[in-house]
Amino acid sequence: MQDYKTEQPFDITMSEDQQMTWDMLMKFAETEMRPNARDTEALGRPEKALMEKMQALELISLIIPEEYDGMGLEQDAVSQALALEALAYGDLSLAMSLSVPLFTAKIISEHGSEEQKQTFLKPYCSQSLFHVALGMNNASAMGNPLNSSVLVEEDSAELILNGTKAGIAYASEASSFLIAATNSSGETNLYFVDHESEGLDIIAKEYMGLKGLPLSDITFSNCKIKTSQKLGGHNYSMNFQQLLDSSRIGMSALALGVCQAVLDYVVPYTNERVAFDEPISNRQSVAFLVADMAIEIEALRLMVHKAAALKDLGADFHRQASLTYRFAAHHGMKIGTDGVQLLGGHGFTHEHPVELWYRNLRAIGIFEGGAGV
Amino acid sequence: MIHPLLPNQLQKTQETMRMAAEFILRPISRKYDKAEHEPPVEMEQLNQAAAAQKESTVGDDSVKSMDLKGRNLWAVISLEQMCWGDVGLFLARPGTGLGNAAIMAVGNPDQKSQWGKRWASMAITEPAAGSDSKNISTTAVLDGDEWVINGEKIYVTDGDRCDCVVVWATLNKALGKTAIRSFIVEKGTPGFSVARLEKKLGIRASDTATLIFDNCRIPRENLLGGKEEVETDIDAAKKSFGGAMQTFDNTRPMVAGMAIGLGQAALDMTKALLAEEGYEDSYGTSMGQQTAIQYELEMLEAELEAARLLVYKSAWMMDNKMPNSKEASMGKAKAGRIGNKISLKCVEICSMQGFSEDHLLEKFSRDSKILDIFEGTQQIQQLIVARQVLGKSSAELK
Repeated sequence: MQDYKTEQPFDITMSEDQQMTWDMLMKFAETEMRPNARDTEALGRPEKALMEKMQALELISLIIPEEYDGMGLEQDAVSQALALEALAYGDLSLAMSLSVPLFTAKIISEHGSEEQKQTFLKPYCSQSLFHVALGMNNASAMGNPLNSSVLVEEDSAELILNGTKAGIAYASEASSFLIAATNSSGETNLYFVDHESEGLDIIAKEYMGLKGLPLSDITFSNCKIKTSQKLGGHNYSMNFQQLLDSSRIGMSALALGVCQAVLDYVVPYTNERVAFDEPISNRQSVAFLVADMAIEIEALRLMVHKAAALKDLGADFHRQASLTYRFAAHHGMKIGTDGVQLLGGHGFTHEHPVELWYRNLRAIGIFEGGAGV
Repeated sequence: MIHPLLPNQLQKTQETMRMAAEFILRPISRKYDKAEHEPPVEMEQLNQAAAAQKESTVGDDSVKSMDLKGRNLWAVISLEQMCWGDVGLFLARPGTGLGNAAIMAVGNPDQKSQWGKRWASMAITEPAAGSDSKNISTTAVLDGDEWVINGEKIYVTDGDRCDCVVVWATLNKALGKTAIRSFIVEKGTPGFSVARLEKKLGIRASDTATLIFDNCRIPRENLLGGKEEVETDIDAAKKSFGGAMQTFDNTRPMVAGMAIGLGQAALDMTKALLAEEGYEDSYGTSMGQQTAIQYELEMLEAELEAARLLVYKSAWMMDNKMPNSKEASMGKAKAGRIGNKISLKCVEICSMQGFSEDHLLEKFSRDSKILDIFEGTQQIQQLIVARQVLGKSSAELK
């Protein structure tokens, strides 16, 4: 029944480095991100000055190898999960404005050919964030997440893409797209597509949440690309399941940050809000909702950390990542809806952030490729 | 370093305990479910296996390097595996009861050496006092060099088969919880009798007794922790009852571990039954691809894994001498409700086979209910967590 090997004892305390990064990012989330969440939604994207501050955190150049102008400090999955949680504690849309390019850079760094790394990694270290837009979300509901809603014909000298991908962040800013597509043998890989290619149509979309993150659909109609535009080169074949699992740990870590934000908001609110002559939190019907929130959040945190730790060990983490994302989707939304419920009518209005978190948390369990570890 | 994973050594413990559960407990599981009140004599074997395992594990250097030798995490993991076998039988294993945890937690060195190795049950609940244990009516009065105990205790696990009982009694009911003390009463003491054994929904292998104390006289030194007189200083008084309640911070992770073991057993058995009809896991696929059973089982498995990690965390905190009252209750709340939910759902999923006594699923679903009740009900755990998260006193959040 032993399914991984480690001599390390069970532990749940952060390392000194993790604690330092955590403190720094939590402060940033509270002072720079949270206060700008509403404005970001209204604008549909982060305001320029804020985006520059987020970029100055240098989270992306940190992980890019030195030969591509980065700092080459490889981050373990647990540390990345911590960073994602802290950022999402500020605001999910804003966090994803960093986590999407971070994940994209990580994918290129791990799977890209030398030429692709030269072309696409270097710009991350010189103030560019969105030159590659990642297309992971399927347009269809019923499909297998391992199969893309974009199909690729690989049998000729060139590759031909057909189909639609949804929820692509910063598509209009990008000079290239990195699109998941499935070939006739059912293998899914990623393909670089130039923005200028013929046969692609970018349509901006609005969603119920993540409104501070510009999202688009891209439809490919006989869009032709070169065989060398396959991520890793024309003979490369990636483990798409593992990519998806990494993304799901990342998305769960983001969900965790938002859930913690909800809890930290409803605790003072229910303690201060008086009804029938006493704080509403003096009543079990209210207090138990808060208790359950705290329980599920702590559980989610441990689930995320375990999945990430398994990945760091090099053990199989498919099951753990799947269970974690399923848990995050279910309990994240429960916490989102309870957050609004606890504020009653006030929670339904824009006077409080709980309705925003409610809308954003609905993306959890749906969105793929919004973050990764 | 954040590493919520079990080191190899503890995974070996899991394997050994699972073997014991599978080959010692499972074969007699149904037998003692049917033969309620009959002492399971085969359980001595399990004790020997556990003792051997503990010696080899706790003596091992890799485990020693953990604080306090990781004793509590080791215990939770062992319990979890044994209760994968059978919760009722585990509770009925001779030698240790909840009273032993209390003696080890609050006893003085003399008491630990005199009573530590005796089988001690725990008598708190009374007909009119359950979760509000500060409201008990059993009295203890000092008369010369003896305490005189009077009262009735119910739901005492191991109450019939044990060597001694840790009894909660009040020195003066009017003074509330500050006057509550616990006492060690040996079996056979005049005035102490077992009135009857309960017939129960589940854990039938374990005896659940009603005890009567009628002018039962015990030695003065059998007062377990705390002072002979009621403290007038409010802080000292609070601390005294708090000390008694602290035993629960130690035992809740253990009971929660039992619920996890049971939940895992139900899931494993369900999957084995379904596999005969072609079932396969489908982790991480979409709702559109999964059958209702696959979806349901994946969610339940996620919930179980979540509960497991909460419980491991609360035990790990004990090992590292961190206050764990909130975490112990979080783990107990989650594990208690999930163990129950999983076992009931598994019966439903397996349909008539689940409902049938041909298999143990129906038994798991009866056994699981008590794990969300004893050692603090679901609602008590939620209260404890809520008070701590919201920063409330028991007067504010009742």
